[in-house]
Amino acid sequence: MGGLEQRFPVPLKNFSVEIKGNNTDLVICRYDDHFLVMATQIGTMGTILHARKEEGVTVEPTFNVSVILGKRDEPMLLAITRQLIENISSSGSSMPLVLSLGLKDHSTETLKGIVSAVVENRLW
Amino acid sequence: MNMSSPSSSFGKASDSEAASKSAAASAASGGVQVTTFTELVDEVTLHFQIIHLAKQIYVWIGSDSAKLGNLYAAAPTRPNNSVSVTSILGGASDNTGSGIARRLVLKTGLNIIVACNIPKNNPMLEANAEKKLMEKLITLGYSRPKSRSPGA
Repeated sequence: MGGLEQRFPVPLKNFSVEIKGNNTDLVICRYDDHFLVMATQIGTMGTILHARKEEGVTVEPTFNVSVILGKRDEPMLLAITRQLIENISSSGSSMPLVLSLGLKDHSTETLKGIVSAVVENRLW
Repeated sequence: MNMSSPSSSFGKASDSEAASKSAAASAASGGVQVTTFTELVDEVTLHFQIIHLAKQIYVWIGSDSAKLGNLYAAAPTRPNNSVSVTSILGGASDNTGSGIARRLVLKTGLNIIVACNIPKNNPMLEANAEKKLMEKLITLGYSRPKSRSPGA
């Protein structure tokens, strides 16, 4: 029997960008039932959020976004999460998102930087 | 933030009587170091993914499917060097994986997030998964130095 040539079943992207002078490490994974996105400037996962699409009876879906571990008083984190789940949904996927954000600042510029870095390298 | 931890990247698959095949891949292309490997244990294929951040590690264990599974956060807790574990996603009616999270922290002193997607009600499988993971973490250089000095 030769080598097990199976590819690892979880596609993953791993890269860094600089946002407002802060080095930001990003990891994006695609599991069978979730997307996992990690963006960190502080060496830990930071706050972990969860977002999912709820298909209603009407045409437009709604989204449920919540913090599952960490800062619950920083609306910018929820805003990033919401923008990403909407992007996932408009790309055609209904999978929920687990997002971890370990950020040094919570400015609008950082929000835009994170969202655009993730969307540019998306796995959906 | 560049990590200079030793990266063990070898890609051989070997047959052995113990029926455990493993192919390990470790990539640190920009950003953080990610280690993935697959092992065959007791005729079950287990996939492992370790994402190394500077002060925390994330671990995913999958078996038949690549679903995320139950998510747990675990960390050492002062003052007694005990461990706290909490379920942060899934795991409401089954806590497969929480024991793994707890014991990984006990043995390594790390701050850990564990995503565990192995079949429930299979303690042997859980124990084997934990063992393989622990072996890999030790290979990668993570283990708590044993200090037995009193009062330290």
